[in-house]
Amino acid sequence: MTRRFTALGVLAVVCAAVELVAGRGMSPGVVWDVLNGGGDATERHILFQLRLPRLLVALGAGACLAVAGLVLQSALRNPLAGPEVTGVTPGAVLGAVTATALGLAGWDSPLAVVLAACAGGCAGAALLWLLAGRGRGDPAQTAVHGVLVSAVLGGLTAMVLLVEPGELGSVVQWLVGTTEGRVWEHWHLLWPWALVWGVAAWLLAGPLTLLRCGDDIALAAGLSARRARTLALMCAVALTAGAVAAVGALGFIGLLVPHLAVAVFGADLRRSLPGAALTGAVVVCGADAVAQLSSRLLATALDSGRLTLPVGALTACLGAALLLLVVRRTPSRTF
Amino acid sequence: MVVLLAVSSVCALSLGTPYVPPHRLVAAVLDGDTTLAGIVVTELRVPRLLLALVAGACLGAAGLVLQEALRNPLAVPEMLGVSSGAALGVAAPLVLTLSLPAAVQPLLAIGGAALGGGLTLLVAGLGRSPSAVLLTGAAVAAALQAALLVLMVMADQLDLQLIYRYLLGSLSARTWDDVTGLWPWLLVAGPALVLCAPVLSVLRLGDEDAEALGVRAQRARLAALAIAVVLIAPVTAVCGPVAWVGFLAPHLSRWFAPVAGAVRWLPWSAAWGAVVVAVADVPARLALAPVETPAGAWTALLGVPAGVALMRSGGRRRTARHGQAASVGAREQLSELRRTASGVVDDVPPAAASHHAHRGEPGPGGPTSPPLGTIGTEDVR
Repeated sequence: MTRRFTALGVLAVVCAAVELVAGRGMSPGVVWDVLNGGGDATERHILFQLRLPRLLVALGAGACLAVAGLVLQSALRNPLAGPEVTGVTPGAVLGAVTATALGLAGWDSPLAVVLAACAGGCAGAALLWLLAGRGRGDPAQTAVHGVLVSAVLGGLTAMVLLVEPGELGSVVQWLVGTTEGRVWEHWHLLWPWALVWGVAAWLLAGPLTLLRCGDDIALAAGLSARRARTLALMCAVALTAGAVAAVGALGFIGLLVPHLAVAVFGADLRRSLPGAALTGAVVVCGADAVAQLSSRLLATALDSGRLTLPVGALTACLGAALLLLVVRRTPSRTF
Repeated sequence: MVVLLAVSSVCALSLGTPYVPPHRLVAAVLDGDTTLAGIVVTELRVPRLLLALVAGACLGAAGLVLQEALRNPLAVPEMLGVSSGAALGVAAPLVLTLSLPAAVQPLLAIGGAALGGGLTLLVAGLGRSPSAVLLTGAAVAAALQAALLVLMVMADQLDLQLIYRYLLGSLSARTWDDVTGLWPWLLVAGPALVLCAPVLSVLRLGDEDAEALGVRAQRARLAALAIAVVLIAPVTAVCGPVAWVGFLAPHLSRWFAPVAGAVRWLPWSAAWGAVVVAVADVPARLALAPVETPAGAWTALLGVPAGVALMRSGGRRRTARHGQAASVGAREQLSELRRTASGVVDDVPPAAASHHAHRGEPGPGGPTSPPLGTIGTEDVR
């Protein structure tokens, strides 16, 4: 187990290093120079004011989304309950966009954006709860209803955006999920929030492991299943909202990284929860590095400077492929 | 429904600036080019209304074809990746600033739609459990959406506004050219629909029964998908993916005529689709008066909750309304829902029993209407 953690940690460091040197402005040699204290003012600025916060935000957001996904899947006992599928992510996007459009919040008041995203996420989850009704026991049915909820929330977001068309340019990147142009303010906003709720999730790891076994076993072990589930859902919504407010709706991280983590670290959440955080950080960071590299290559190949590949598009494609694989590989199951 | 259609048509023709009172509409149309009102009505509002009706009818019919062919009440173009594919096909040349003749655009849309739908069905495997198909469709749609968003990020601010509006499904500023561009496709799709409707009602029986009756189920399903693509793609090329009409319209038609077959539902579904889009276009034009909101946003907002409510309440209400005679339809709907839920049919004996009771009196769906009771018993796994 320790060996797996170490391996993943090494992978994270490698991804972070690649991410640091992958961007467009500087060659790896220059980066090394700057790290050793050399380089001119511009290069120092690029490295310390742009690349480093971007790297940290990518790591933090990935960890948040992965933990939120694992908590949701354990609490609802539903292998398909990612934050994207349960209406939490679209709700959070809607909340953040609405607050920005109404002038209640902006990039100068970051806490308000997070709170608005949180409220929106709760609303999305509540909507799904209402819509799913009696059929909420069945995973696939809930997932299908979640897609419907996402459609409704997407329509609302579209309305808000059309009322305030000036916001459109900056918000589109948010809808995909991108780490482009994230600076220290975003990181200072993200890490206290992520830390508080991450610790809360860690404290809930034991009860959540019991909940995974089923309500009867959890009750027999002396756990108040309802209360634990409510706390866990709150935790998941808050973590998702924080990540969405920082980087936008990164597709499929919260749905698929938990499966990866459980496959590697086992079903005991006390181990797999930190494992999921690490895996999520690695996946988002790696995807961001690949996105930067490929947009650099594409820019030289197609000779157009404005071409940038948002990391959200990459994770969505990756996630879609993985989801197809999962659905395809379980032919006898009903979902 | 006729009342609703008439009211929304009159609203669409008379409201707005300049306001043309309903009793002067005829005079305005007869005047033609001479007065301002005449020009506005004949050149702007009439084509727009016609386009709304045609687009709605196409989407409604396509939705019903998909739902019946896959025997899945949630199989809608949006969930199968068909709409996203078509939108991608249209948006790509717009962003990449390739200049193409207008006639090619529907072809591109058709290519995209066929790609999306075909990919979904190919990966999911035909005739697998409905939820698997839907989840696969959601994944394919998400991947296509991601590609679309990459395109949007690449576009500059002006293009972005245009594409965003288009992607939500807007009917604004459509003229006679757009309407006339549609009808060759309708000429292809109309006869095909008439031909495939009886086959659809046979497919409802389940694959084994359909094969026994001489229908090649897989091939029929592919044909149905092709028809749906031909119906959806030109509409998407002209006015964007007007969301969830293909979900709402078939459920409305089923709700009003519970004991009927696909043959009967098909025209009703098309009519309801037309009504839905025409009704949604009125608030889209007028709600935030100087700004046009896209009709697709309204259909998504209102269509999904309404459709789910109809789907859910369908079974219960029907039993109360039609009493014992219609219990077959209710039970069929229930078992359909339950199959979506679990993939396991657990009410075979009652369904089969009522099927025998029902066979004596053929339903109002005409001679081709199938005995509905058997639907629950054959499930393709």
